[in-house]
Amino acid sequence: MDQAVQIIIGGIVQGCVFALIALGLSLIYRVTGIINLAQGAFCIFGALLGYTFQVTFNWPMPLAILAAVAGTTVFGLVIARTTFVPGLAYLPNSSMLMLTAGLLTFIEGLTLVLWGSQPYATPTFSGERPLDIFGVLVPTQGLWIAGISAIVILATWFVMGRTALGKALAACAENPMAAQIMGIDVPRMTLMSYGISAMIAALGGIAVAPLMSFQFDTGSFFTNAGFIAVVVGGTSSFIGPVAGGLFLGVTEQLAAGYVSSLFADGVALGLLIITLLWRPQGLFAPRRARRHDVREDVRVHRAIVDFRGHGPALAGIALVIALAAIPWVINDGGLMSSLVITLILFISVLGLDVLMGYAGQVSLGQAAFMAIGGYTSAILATTYGVPPLAATSAGIALSLACALVLSLVTMRLRGAYLALATLAFGLLVDSLTVGLTDLTGGPSGLVGIPSFAIGPLVLASPTAMYFFTLALIVVIVLVLLGGMRSSFGRALQAIRTDQTAAAALGINVPAHKMAAFAIAAVLGSLSGSLYAFDFHFLSPEMVATPRSFELIAMLILGGDGTLIGGLIGAALITLLPTLFQPLALYKTLAEGAILVIVFRYLPEGLLGRGAWLVSRLAGALMETFAPTAAADKLP
Amino acid sequence: MLEIQSLCAGYGAAEVLHGVSLRVAAGEIVALIGANGAGKTTLAKTLAGVLSPSRGRILFEGREINRVSAHERIARGIAQVPEGRQIIGGLTVEDNLRLAVFTQRRRLGSAAIHSRIAEIGRHFPVLEERMTAMAGNLSGGQQQMLAIARALMVEPRLVVLDEPSLGLSPVLVSQIFQLIAGFRQRGLAVLLSEQNARMSLAIADRAYVIEMGRVVLEGTGQELLNDPAIAERYLGVGAGSASGDDEGARLRRKDLVRGLAPILGRGSDSVRS
Amino acid sequence: MNAPALTVDGFVKTFGGVHAVEDVSFTVADGSVAALIGPNGAGKTTLFNLITNFYPADAGQARFYGASLAGLAPEKIARLGLQRTFQTARVFPGMTTLDNVLAGAHRRVRSHGVRQMLWLPGARQEERELAAEAQALLDLVGLSAFSAAAATSLPMGAQKLVEVCRALMARPRMLLLDEPAAGLTDAETAEFASLLRAIRDNGITILVVEHNMSLVMDVADDVIVLDLGRLIARGAPAEVQRDARVVEAYLGAQME
Repeated sequence: MDQAVQIIIGGIVQGCVFALIALGLSLIYRVTGIINLAQGAFCIFGALLGYTFQVTFNWPMPLAILAAVAGTTVFGLVIARTTFVPGLAYLPNSSMLMLTAGLLTFIEGLTLVLWGSQPYATPTFSGERPLDIFGVLVPTQGLWIAGISAIVILATWFVMGRTALGKALAACAENPMAAQIMGIDVPRMTLMSYGISAMIAALGGIAVAPLMSFQFDTGSFFTNAGFIAVVVGGTSSFIGPVAGGLFLGVTEQLAAGYVSSLFADGVALGLLIITLLWRPQGLFAPRRARRHDVREDVRVHRAIVDFRGHGPALAGIALVIALAAIPWVINDGGLMSSLVITLILFISVLGLDVLMGYAGQVSLGQAAFMAIGGYTSAILATTYGVPPLAATSAGIALSLACALVLSLVTMRLRGAYLALATLAFGLLVDSLTVGLTDLTGGPSGLVGIPSFAIGPLVLASPTAMYFFTLALIVVIVLVLLGGMRSSFGRALQAIRTDQTAAAALGINVPAHKMAAFAIAAVLGSLSGSLYAFDFHFLSPEMVATPRSFELIAMLILGGDGTLIGGLIGAALITLLPTLFQPLALYKTLAEGAILVIVFRYLPEGLLGRGAWLVSRLAGALMETFAPTAAADKLP
Repeated sequence: MLEIQSLCAGYGAAEVLHGVSLRVAAGEIVALIGANGAGKTTLAKTLAGVLSPSRGRILFEGREINRVSAHERIARGIAQVPEGRQIIGGLTVEDNLRLAVFTQRRRLGSAAIHSRIAEIGRHFPVLEERMTAMAGNLSGGQQQMLAIARALMVEPRLVVLDEPSLGLSPVLVSQIFQLIAGFRQRGLAVLLSEQNARMSLAIADRAYVIEMGRVVLEGTGQELLNDPAIAERYLGVGAGSASGDDEGARLRRKDLVRGLAPILGRGSDSVRS
Repeated sequence: MNAPALTVDGFVKTFGGVHAVEDVSFTVADGSVAALIGPNGAGKTTLFNLITNFYPADAGQARFYGASLAGLAPEKIARLGLQRTFQTARVFPGMTTLDNVLAGAHRRVRSHGVRQMLWLPGARQEERELAAEAQALLDLVGLSAFSAAAATSLPMGAQKLVEVCRALMARPRMLLLDEPAAGLTDAETAEFASLLRAIRDNGITILVVEHNMSLVMDVADDVIVLDLGRLIARGAPAEVQRDARVVEAYLGAQME
């Protein structure tokens, strides 16, 4: 009995933090319609800033806390002013979501650079001795968390429900166009809501920091928990996210207390899936206000990459010859290994391109398929001595099964909800790879994985692996190209931009989405297996959620919807840190910055931009020669 | 009062207005008539400051306002009654009215805002009765009244109305038009975009006809009302055949029919001659 | 007289207490062009959405050549041969004009997915034939010059034409067109009228929502008038134009 009370109290404390993050998420979502993935990163940023002020600078605690909250708020405002708010003016919702994924990565990278990768534990606000309340031991920090949460929640409730500012924010949320016509400065309101959200996140992070260990990449965990809380609670009412957070916290603690901590993640994911299927508007939402989204009008202009004609074919052949020639030019073994990894990751990016670039289904869980493929084949090959080829096939089969289940569950979800469901899937796989220690070797990884082999042919050297992967890529690209340039690819593209119109043409939208998911899973899994065989080692962080973001960065940097563009992105992101070793620390920061900058300034990617420039150049040339051409046609 | 000089505007790469020029004098009702997609709503949005023009100038009381923000335009006296009413359904009628002066709330003070709402109540008895009701629960006609009342809250000098008769029954439409005609007595200038050409021309001092993003005709309301071309195109009077019945057209049609047949998978037997 | 292509039987739809469509019934004869007219907000687009099941109806159903469409997913309805276009041209961004038109042929493609991926000769051949057909169609409507351009870069009027072409590529038995001539010039409207008649003369039934009265009077065999969600008149164009209720509702009553 006592244990149950203890667990529930622990759950409420954790739930308070989830509620705060959910509150921040729903505040931004209500005003802009965007789930801000960077929300959790502000928690960590605030907490670590507080640590520095308090421990390193030795400031008195209240001052340190105040300064950390203020610092995080200003940081949030700067981020919003330079990226989020301007992006809203012209980016579609899916790109905005990816922009916030970039911000999450960017802030994590910044945290890594500033604070390093070690975990931090900050001192509690009022000593370690728990309070004894009727025989139940309550850590005083828990009371602090509950108190701070209550104050923040009440203050937000007052501002949102009782003030003119709250009404204006509600107007922006319901109908931004109307709000703008009424003279409400929507960008400023957005900025304000972003700042408030960052502030709330910092408060939550600082309050909970003494109870957990924080490191640079804990942010995505918080974002995910907050998101699940928002979905479970619903965004339409103020109380929804708060109730959702508390509910999630208590449920998770109960699951962790009575079953295992591994099970807690499963419970959270289960809760998410049940809610999405059963009550998509949220368990605690009475009704859902309809959003008139002006930004649905925004048309995304992106370069059209046309594979027809001889030009692209010749360019492709030239590219393959150039790539095949590389091993004869390069003698550096380390560089050769990096090139192999580039190609292996490119396979995963190719799958992501079909799913995201063509079918427009944003997935933040591509690395999870790498993990499934990698671990399945590695375990089979290492522990059971299954030949690599068969082990890889088994990984693909398992990934395919997971993809089908995932796509069935997420079939009705669009945009942010789909993206976050895939993120939740990714995080679940992450926790399995870490938690199933007996199978996966846990955090320290799986060692002694054999080299890849096709029958008796063992691909032991990087060069052999390089040629094999290159050949594989040529085959994959040709197969995908065949699909993408015909009715299948057109159907995917139609679904990407307008599911309604696609259905009106008789396109079976669910079946095509599922096919795209399957292709992404197969290629992700294949890539994960090759990765494990190539490295002879596999650890959870090699195929964890940050890898998903990295794959997206590669895809977007190169240009999505171009198949081949991802190669540029994969090469840049993989090779640059290898070539300039000191840059390794800045890798996460750079990936985040790339995502943000590309989405902000170069939404069509490098290859897309290049194609656009070429077509503009060709157009200019045509213009120059057009008068003569027209004159020729005259009778 | 308002002068628009060769205004070009649109959404991203798609330009909708190709050089529109018009003016509205103080206390004048000017109607803007044209079909769906002619550019009336784009013009209204550009005037509101929601879209920025790619070329041309908008002058209000002699000063260029091209780069003036939406809320500053309202403060200067341009109020909007947008297409589709665009009221905030999740807030009460009174909150909707209050939000209209949100950006000026400190300057005006709560007493002034209160008296303006009371004044609106006197002019719109329908709204007076339902001040605390959710705006989303009002009927279509009441919502339109609210949208107009909301524009009047800022005590504008120019009201831009975009399709105020949209989706209203004939009785309500004439009520709305009488209300707009009454603005003249208050000395308000009105720019009225309407598909209902007959009603808007009847109350307008002057009118512009806009087609494909260009002004193709202007005149007084009466002149346009009596113009046979307008009568046919917009008033549905004496609509004749749009395509000529000459030999060329007939041949072209035959080509079309034959050209389409294989694409539509029709044998020659199923095609009507 | 053939069996009707489309029978609309007692459709009712309310949105938040407002009657958008109230007990509307009519038929569209096989091989005819019917026009659906009425003031903005009369419920015309809602009616289209009810017929194609984009919204579920509160009551009533539509029958297509006798088969009930109730409960059928939009893509199933499309596969029966009932194609629709949208009020605001919904061409697919990021695709060329030709690919947009080809997307319409989706339901006719025999060799799907895997065969195309393996570059099988049959699949390539089919793809080439469809592309040629789409190109010919663009030629017919005078858009062939734009076939490689991004469809969204075309003027609005041309985009609406692309949408009609896309629907034609599906070889429909019946077309539902939602304001296809909005944004077309007078000359283009006349061209469009010829196209509609040519489509009809190929035996395809058309139901068109249109504001442009001259187009309606020109091509429609039958005019159906909606006002405030109710059917207020139907008949030959000339008849309807004289109907006092139509004049009042659609053309606006005179101010006293």
